[in-house]
Amino acid sequence: MGELQAVPWALIAPLLLIQLILMVVALIDLSRIHATNGPKWLWAIIIIIGNLLGSIVYFIIGRKQS
Amino acid sequence: MSQFNVLMGKELRESWRSFKILWIPLVFILLGVSDPILNYYLMDILKAVGEMPEGFQMVMPELSPADILAASTGQFQSIGLIVLIATFVGTISRERQNGTATLLYVRPISHMALFLSKWLVACLVAVISVIAGYAASLYYTVLLYGPVQWDQFIGMLATYLLWICLIMAVTVAMSAAFKTVIAATLTIIMVIGGTIFESLIGSFLSISPWKLPSSALSLLSDYYDRTNFILNLSLSTGLLIFFIVLGIFMCQRNASTTEI
Repeated sequence: MGELQAVPWALIAPLLLIQLILMVVALIDLSRIHATNGPKWLWAIIIIIGNLLGSIVYFIIGRKQS
Repeated sequence: MSQFNVLMGKELRESWRSFKILWIPLVFILLGVSDPILNYYLMDILKAVGEMPEGFQMVMPELSPADILAASTGQFQSIGLIVLIATFVGTISRERQNGTATLLYVRPISHMALFLSKWLVACLVAVISVIAGYAASLYYTVLLYGPVQWDQFIGMLATYLLWICLIMAVTVAMSAAFKTVIAATLTIIMVIGGTIFESLIGSFLSISPWKLPSSALSLLSDYYDRTNFILNLSLSTGLLIFFIVLGIFMCQRNASTTEI
């Protein structure tokens, strides 16, 4: 536990929070959108696992713009 | 004017419904935050990853606040620009390709209002993103490295915002002139390729449009060249107007290529 408390949470927390918000926004968009390029479940995995990059890639090439 | 307002409202609604106005600023904030934190903890990260040879010593350079803001600018210049270009490069051409534009072009609309509404919304999203990114970067820089002078920082931000508006004008103009794929390729060659070209042989050129980001940084630190600041600024403004006029013209000319 000592190591966890040594982490300067005040500095790191905003970073994690923004990453989480981005992931949630991507997931909300994924659930609302009619169809994606490629299977939907695959995009869900990409967004969750590839946190920052996954969400960016989803927004740029995953959404079917029509 | 009322036509412009309607088109502007439509573009704003579109950027809200596709979450553009939300996720691009978030990406810029993450890019802006990552550099100050990474540089601050670099020594700890290297220690934790380990595998350093016995007696290995490394001298870390003493980083000034301006260096950190320059590093964040570097992030915006690579990943940030690619994200912005990729999002907005289809803004006119995609509507032509999938037939949405038919609904617009059957009415007697002004192509100037159409182009300007697209460009202004792209600029709005880009400007919000860059301001959010720099604000996040500045917050951590001031917290971890020391204060930055406000007037210098605002001057730098304003110069960089002009650069980002120029990029958006190029992107939307290319979107008006070509199909999405060609437009994306041309814009990335012009912007990213130009930046690489500039970093290779830029010291031999006295003025070039790609000098604007380093001109912006020159307001913060003396490391960057400041001699032709006003000339670079006016060259970029001229190019901005040129690309807007080109975009409006191309919008008009390519209206007939819309697929139904």
